[in-house]
Amino acid sequence: MKKKVLSVLMAGVMTSALLIGCGSSAPAAAPAEEAAPAEEAVEEAAPAEEAAVEAPEINADATGEIKVWVADNVVDFTNKRVADFMEANPEFAGFTVTVEPVGEGDAASNMITDVEAGADIFTFAQDQIARLVSAGALEEVAPQNAAAIKAENDPGSVAAATVGDTLYAYPLTSDNGYFLYYDKSVVTDPSDLDAILADCEAAGKNFYMEINSGWYQTAFFFGTGCTLAYDTDNEGNFTAANVDYASDQGLVAMKEIIKLASSPAFQNGSAAGEATNLAAIVDGTWDSGTLQEVFGDNYACAKLPSFVGSDGKTYQLSGFGGFKLLGVKPQTDEDKLNACDALAAFLAGEETQSLRYEAVGWGPSNLNAQQSDAVKSDVALSALAEQLAFTIPQGQYPGDYWSLATGLGDDVIQGNLTVDSSDDDIMKALQTFQDTCISYAK
Amino acid sequence: MKEEKYGSMSKKRAIGNAISYILLILISIIWLFPFFGLIMQSFRSYSSEYGGMVNYIIPKKFSLDNYRFLMSGETNYLLWYRNTVIIAVIVAILQTIIILCVSYALSRMRFKGRELLMRFWLILGMFPGFLTMICLYFLLKQFGLTQAGAVPGLILVYVASSGMGYYVCKGYFDTIPKALDEAARIDGATRARIFFEMIIPMSKPIIIYTALVAFMAPWCDYIFASYVAFGNDKSYNVAVAMTRWVWTNDYQGYFTRFCAGGILVAIPVTVLFMALQKYYVEGVTGGAVKG
Amino acid sequence: MAAKRKQKSQNIFEALGKDIAEIGTTFVQGDIKTKLSYIIFGIGPLLRGQIVKGLAYLAAELLFIWYMAGFGWKYLSKISTLGTVATQKVGRKTVYGDNSFMILLFGILTIIIIAAIILVWRMNIRENLTEEQLLKAGKTLPTNKRFLSSFLDENFDKTLLALPITGIFVFTVLPIIFMICVAFTNYDANHQSPTNLFTWVGLENFRSLFSFGSNGFAGTFLTVLSWTLIWAFFATFIDYFLGLAVAMLINKKGIKFKKLWRTILVLTIAVPQFVSLLYIMKMFANDGLVNAYLMKWGWITSPIPFWTDPTLAKITIVVVNIWIGIPYMMLIATGLLMNIPEDLYESARIDGANPFQMFWSITLPYMLFVTGPFLLTQFTGNLNNFNVIFLLTQGRPQSMKLTGNAGYTDLLVTWLYKMTVTDTNYKMAAVIGIMVFLVTAVVSLVVYNMLPSVRDEEGFQ
Repeated sequence: MKKKVLSVLMAGVMTSALLIGCGSSAPAAAPAEEAAPAEEAVEEAAPAEEAAVEAPEINADATGEIKVWVADNVVDFTNKRVADFMEANPEFAGFTVTVEPVGEGDAASNMITDVEAGADIFTFAQDQIARLVSAGALEEVAPQNAAAIKAENDPGSVAAATVGDTLYAYPLTSDNGYFLYYDKSVVTDPSDLDAILADCEAAGKNFYMEINSGWYQTAFFFGTGCTLAYDTDNEGNFTAANVDYASDQGLVAMKEIIKLASSPAFQNGSAAGEATNLAAIVDGTWDSGTLQEVFGDNYACAKLPSFVGSDGKTYQLSGFGGFKLLGVKPQTDEDKLNACDALAAFLAGEETQSLRYEAVGWGPSNLNAQQSDAVKSDVALSALAEQLAFTIPQGQYPGDYWSLATGLGDDVIQGNLTVDSSDDDIMKALQTFQDTCISYAK
Repeated sequence: MKEEKYGSMSKKRAIGNAISYILLILISIIWLFPFFGLIMQSFRSYSSEYGGMVNYIIPKKFSLDNYRFLMSGETNYLLWYRNTVIIAVIVAILQTIIILCVSYALSRMRFKGRELLMRFWLILGMFPGFLTMICLYFLLKQFGLTQAGAVPGLILVYVASSGMGYYVCKGYFDTIPKALDEAARIDGATRARIFFEMIIPMSKPIIIYTALVAFMAPWCDYIFASYVAFGNDKSYNVAVAMTRWVWTNDYQGYFTRFCAGGILVAIPVTVLFMALQKYYVEGVTGGAVKG
Repeated sequence: MAAKRKQKSQNIFEALGKDIAEIGTTFVQGDIKTKLSYIIFGIGPLLRGQIVKGLAYLAAELLFIWYMAGFGWKYLSKISTLGTVATQKVGRKTVYGDNSFMILLFGILTIIIIAAIILVWRMNIRENLTEEQLLKAGKTLPTNKRFLSSFLDENFDKTLLALPITGIFVFTVLPIIFMICVAFTNYDANHQSPTNLFTWVGLENFRSLFSFGSNGFAGTFLTVLSWTLIWAFFATFIDYFLGLAVAMLINKKGIKFKKLWRTILVLTIAVPQFVSLLYIMKMFANDGLVNAYLMKWGWITSPIPFWTDPTLAKITIVVVNIWIGIPYMMLIATGLLMNIPEDLYESARIDGANPFQMFWSITLPYMLFVTGPFLLTQFTGNLNNFNVIFLLTQGRPQSMKLTGNAGYTDLLVTWLYKMTVTDTNYKMAAVIGIMVFLVTAVVSLVVYNMLPSVRDEEGFQ
């Protein structure tokens, strides 16, 4: 009886073997490719200075496809810039560039899932960089570009693009920080958190801050003087954690978070486009357009407020200054790598950054672009600049940190930690948080 | 005396019916409310009001902006819609064919290992589908059926595993008397002829049911379809693209557009479902009893 | 039962022994054609004029050799280590080394194909034996045409099942075996093909699933598992009884517009869930429609945390699921209620039973008996009800008490999904997947043995 079943199964097996056999051209080709590089490796290229100028290093006959992943709202802009690039660099005419709308979050996780199928050039938020490096999804910045990038961009953004002591990405924006947007007609004193909340409560409107995000949470902890930072090695591994949340300062910060969450005006969130009945929100420049529409004439921005802690002292909210980065993935074809390097440098260059600011309002990381009048007179960007004095440039954090921080924030929102919790309970939670943070570094 | 009792009975019944009607109306309101909200939301314009969720239900000004946006080509909505329709139609056809084949073989033929095969499939069905997602992705990649080829790739995966969903259809075949087959066989008909010329014409309800269920499923696949498309937005289906509007921060203020798009998705599926409701009921009822 | 099983396993060994013996005797007693067939498949049938059969066997062997030489061996040979050649840089160019993923995947495929070819070989021997015996008995062998046309008649099952079984094998069985194997490797974000290699680690991942402590998954696993079971129980039975009630309400004598009520309810089945549930998610958000109206009317002063409070979120999910589940049950119950013989109620009424008593002693037992299998599939379906949970809460709220990105409303499947997609922690995802299978299998077995109406069902489900 069994044998007959197996015979039926077997028919299936054989057909499938056939199928795989037919489809084997792809996998069979892979090792062939592996073998091929040996000969190509002979023409070992180490282009110096501007890749575009060094004609002998560039193989003008090279062809290929370059895929670029950027957020949906800059696809058109990026396409335009790619066309400009092609015009300015005819030696790369053999390459066709396609731009696909894949946002920063998706791009990073897709790149990690299958680096071969991922984009050749992609944007990502800096918190992903260590993951991307350890998953082998980022190529080092071409040596000929590295020096210029380090010189032209603000130091924070360069640090963000560096893992260990290697520059892995091209800084794109310097505006991944947050500050306060508010409705002038509701909030009278944007410099004090309690006053803001009181105004919102009185008006029956909402104050938004995403306290269950590891990114926004640090506004409180860094504000009271706590530290949370990791050391990384060149492979993107975390070697040590410096964290002191379980301290008196951490307690003050945590209590303030709890107090904030207990306000009836408080809403957890940072997406301006999804907020309702909004009076004030802690958010970044990417939402400035939305908020201008929401608030209309009452649109206003300010640095984050300060608060009077449980110990009676006044603290200014701090937070992360973060950056968007542009990465190139490792390539098996040197000509293509050259093209990708040149294109990435172009897309992250001063001119593109300035134009991008004009097109979609992303604040540049390029020092020259930052000096332009338009950038300087931007309300949101000046609030951010003001806030930047109090923020800490965001370094590298393990992926687990973000979910742990969400856990901490959710514990507050769901009432595991409340205004009535004893200092001991809060301290215990902070101790767990700290210990878990340390356990991520090996 | 008797008449009086009768009268009180009918009075009781009238009260009972009144309560029933109130309950039914209440239920209907609850059931329809989200759809009502969805429709209202879709007519609220981003430019005059706001694109996100708001704290009122009736738009201050009705507009067709969201529908215009979907049709305008600013996004690939129409392409996504087409992808979904293509997937759904082809899957419905192929899946129905496969299920009919499997059901006939399992219902009518008695071959060695039949029980073992059914048991084996039953056990396979206990593994969660998401488990194998990554593996399926790389398998499809071997055949070039991811990213740009995601649409045929998805069809292949949906259809390939559909044989395991034979229960309802086999249950239906089981109710067709075997004596019919035997009579035909005595007349010299082959198994194939019996299948094509006798069983299939008798199975219209179950064919429609199977096709309907197969047609509806791809409309709601926002997980695996997203994985297979792998960032290539030209091969998204509507579910993948539109859940992105809700979940990704890149698309703030797209919620009204989501509602409009959702309604455009819901209309054909709902109309088709309502038209074929009779067969659906027959199928699920039969399936529930048969298991 | 145990004795029966023992007997069964004995039978298997006996059969295996007989089989091997038959292979031997066939070789010894067979003619030269048969003997040759041991090495060249199908040569016996070919020489006896069974061209189609012979060619099929021969083709199988040739295909197998071609496959192994060109493809299979390359992967199979590395399966014990899953690759040793690391990725390296030549200049600035990346040269990828062994791809552990492909080695594992195609290694497994190759093993299965080898098993299959052994079977083909065995069938080929049996075929020779049968043919010899037929010829010896003075009968003629069936013609090639007869053989081919048998696939439309007595062998029609093979024709019908070939394609579906192939499909299921490639896209279900192979991936499942692969993922089971992954549970015994260290395949995760830090060991990601093609850049990094992964390798076998034995039971390491299961150990970490069952270990408490800061990096252990045990506490979280138990929380998620118990919610999964509680959820499945409530989602199944609340919907079942309420659906039944609504069906009876609509079917009540004297109620008009039956079709209208049914159609309204059925809308929730027709509209794709990602549309309706995402809207409901927004509706019940802290800053959503429901809270806004309740506050506007002055019923509450601060928003009700429908999704952010763990207990409330669970309740909300179950309630929203009623909205989805009732119509389905209502449809089924409507059909079945009509099947209950009217005279049962009639005689009960004569005995003076009130409607509740009639429900309790007639309707319910009948429904439970008839829909037993349905309840079982509903229950196992709800154990894996991804859509409702993921569209409503995505498993949130999270907590520091839970590890691995899990939240309080996560089911095992949604947790599995997050591990796969968000954390690319495939090894733990595979372990969780195996756990889901175990839970489903245990529940099904227990319930199956309790249900009288399933056990007698021919062919099980």
